[in-house]
Amino acid sequence: MNSSAARSLHVVPPLGAEITTNDSSSKRLRIIDAALECIAVEGIKGTTVEDISTRAGMSRATLYRIFPGGRDAVLGAVVETEIARFFSGIAVAMGSATSLEGVLVAGIFDAATRLSGSPALSTILRLEPWLLMRHVSFGEMDRLLSVASDFAEPFFARWLEPNEARRAAEFAVRTLLSYVIEADVDLDLTEKKSVERLVACYVLPGVEALQRAE
Amino acid sequence: MGQKQETRDVIIEAAYGCLAHYGPSRTSVEDVAQAAGVSRATMYRYFPGGRDQLINDVVAWEFHRFFVRLYEAVRDAETLEEVIERGLFVAHRAIKEHEVLQMVLRTEPEALDVVLESEVASTRVQISEFLLPYLERHELAPGVEPGEAAGFLSRMVLSYIGAQGSWDLSNPEEVSRLVRAELLAGIVPREPRTLTLRQI
Repeated sequence: MNSSAARSLHVVPPLGAEITTNDSSSKRLRIIDAALECIAVEGIKGTTVEDISTRAGMSRATLYRIFPGGRDAVLGAVVETEIARFFSGIAVAMGSATSLEGVLVAGIFDAATRLSGSPALSTILRLEPWLLMRHVSFGEMDRLLSVASDFAEPFFARWLEPNEARRAAEFAVRTLLSYVIEADVDLDLTEKKSVERLVACYVLPGVEALQRAE
Repeated sequence: MGQKQETRDVIIEAAYGCLAHYGPSRTSVEDVAQAAGVSRATMYRYFPGGRDQLINDVVAWEFHRFFVRLYEAVRDAETLEEVIERGLFVAHRAIKEHEVLQMVLRTEPEALDVVLESEVASTRVQISEFLLPYLERHELAPGVEPGEAAGFLSRMVLSYIGAQGSWDLSNPEEVSRLVRAELLAGIVPREPRTLTLRQI
């Protein structure tokens, strides 16, 4: 199941993929990947349009032709592209799970591993973590939970009713985000065994209790 | 020393009043100095970082007051279930009704960045330490270690205080259902026997 969901998420080619559709979309990706590399070195605040265009090997004029909104537009496109790449990667891991417990473990483990392996995100967490906090609090967090749950819900639908699947997805996303925002000394989510323990002890019983309660 | 502390408190309280009345974008160091009845020189002696430091310190001050009020509201709860249910319900309502916070979120959310980043982790540890005795008194599911469970619960409590997601935390029945399912199902035994325990 979910192969169609997984396929539809492959709208953004992976890093380094050959783009032959047209010139401006290939330049667009070159700019996005250059911006990612800049962020991985300097963080978000330290990344200028000049840095991005130099790294992409093009003039500032060309960059502004493709992104008339300038720096903010490039950064917006970077976030969008990274999220699409992130979700398409997790979709493969979650889609091949064979049990409810398996899909929870696969989703949390794969997401945590991808997040901690992202050079750009690691630099932001190291240099300017306050830029992220606002997005994981209050109304912004509600929006983030909603987007991430929309994505994860279909993967739970094989084992759960639709309303339970949504709640389970949201619960898993919440758990993941908590451990990403503040790493735990005892529970490292990039270690499969830690995730298995977290899921078996806390997350799966919660999801099963939701099933009984709904 | 006591005098100094007092002046600083007066300034912080005046700044909070300005924030509440005019909003963060229209609160200047001069406004606060006037409201506190101190000179600009005094302002910069206590807040050498100027407006940014002042706003950060006010946000941090209210952040701590918020959790002190929450602690006061839940400290006499008897059971693990009760303390978490009451805490989520009270905290959710307090945030929804917190006019200054809501205004800052609408107009200048970046004013919260530094405080959220620097205070959330230590607050979570405090919540975890506060919950630990409740866990130690409660019957736990086999294999559950109270310290680890307190860590997980403190993370979930903070997550739900910050954002309720698809739950309605202004509804006590929903709060109770949430706590008994997502938060405690793995931690307490399948059939809670609080009643029997109390009879003993």
